Amino acid sequence: MKISFPRHILYLTLFSIFMIIFTIWFAMDKLIPMGKEYRKNHIKLKKEKIDLARYQDFYDKTLKHFNQTKAKNRHIIEALENRFDPTRFKTKYGKYFIDLSLSKISDANQSKWYEIYEVQTTSKIKSPTNFYNFLEALNKSEWIIGVTFPIDFTREGELIHSSFKMQVYKKSDETNSTANENSKKPAKGKS
Amino acid sequence: MKYSYITPRKKSLLTKEAVLILTFFSISFFLLFSTYAFLLFKEYRFQKELQSIYDKKAELKTSIANMKASIAFIEEEAALANKVYTTNSVLKDSIANLFDLVPDRITLSKAKILKNGLILYGITPNKDVYAYMLEAPLRSIFAKTHTSFYQLPNGWLKFVSTNYLDNEFEDFINED
Repeated sequence: MKISFPRHILYLTLFSIFMIIFTIWFAMDKLIPMGKEYRKNHIKLKKEKIDLARYQDFYDKTLKHFNQTKAKNRHIIEALENRFDPTRFKTKYGKYFIDLSLSKISDANQSKWYEIYEVQTTSKIKSPTNFYNFLEALNKSEWIIGVTFPIDFTREGELIHSSFKMQVYKKSDETNSTANENSKKPAKGKS
Repeated sequence: MKYSYITPRKKSLLTKEAVLILTFFSISFFLLFSTYAFLLFKEYRFQKELQSIYDKKAELKTSIANMKASIAFIEEEAALANKVYTTNSVLKDSIANLFDLVPDRITLSKAKILKNGLILYGITPNKDVYAYMLEAPLRSIFAKTHTSFYQLPNGWLKFVSTNYLDNEFEDFINED
């Protein structure tokens, strides 16, 4: 029995077989791995987005805390940044005494956190409360000032001379620049 | 002049079967390649998006670290300021208490308030007045009290009272 098979059908069959093999190879070798990769990346991206939202949330909370801390301690921050002015100090606190004089003590071993001033005051013996008022007023001053020991009181007739040292706290230049950098950086991260 | 009674059949380059097969494979390949292109594009987008997320996270991390450092620094400053304020208040109370402690019959000429002690110079009409009215309260405050008396021409006594809270101060007084 002879089967008649036109030649062009044979070519078409061979062409179709080749195409089918190519399609299967392409799907198996390229499309399926890429599809798997796509799924993996999709899940990874979703996770990263959740993680980023967590970071953003933590950032917002930290920023809120930072602003609250800054607002709460504004007076202290400004007081440490203020440059001490002896003339202004004398004008402001001279009212508590008959006489008030102060001089800076230069000491090589001095701390970078504060400057030391020697203060001498004269007040009337009948008004010792002025000294207490002065100490009370120091706590509300525009600088951070701590009175240190020893404190000498000497009576001379109707007057009391007192002498003591006070530490005027300041931000050291080193910490000042670091703090400034730190306080600038959060704004950059703000979105 | 016609040689045939039938109209001639149009001849094409491709047979009907060939056209059908080619159409089928063309559509298949189009679908395959467009899917591949879509996946490639998505991969590229994922990479871009991931990179931007990583950058944003790094930026947030740095900002958070900076803010934390700033918060710690401000809290340190606040603690220091509050310590100074407390010391001033305590000092004020101590001085007020000291002056309240001295009775009217005893006159102080000099007082030196030290970190761990107190040195008083003054005059008293006699030792008993000093002992009952000043030394007793001083003894209740300080760990050790020592007083020296010097006779004055008018019969009163000049005294120097050194009072200290601990032994270290005693050494300091001796050195002084």
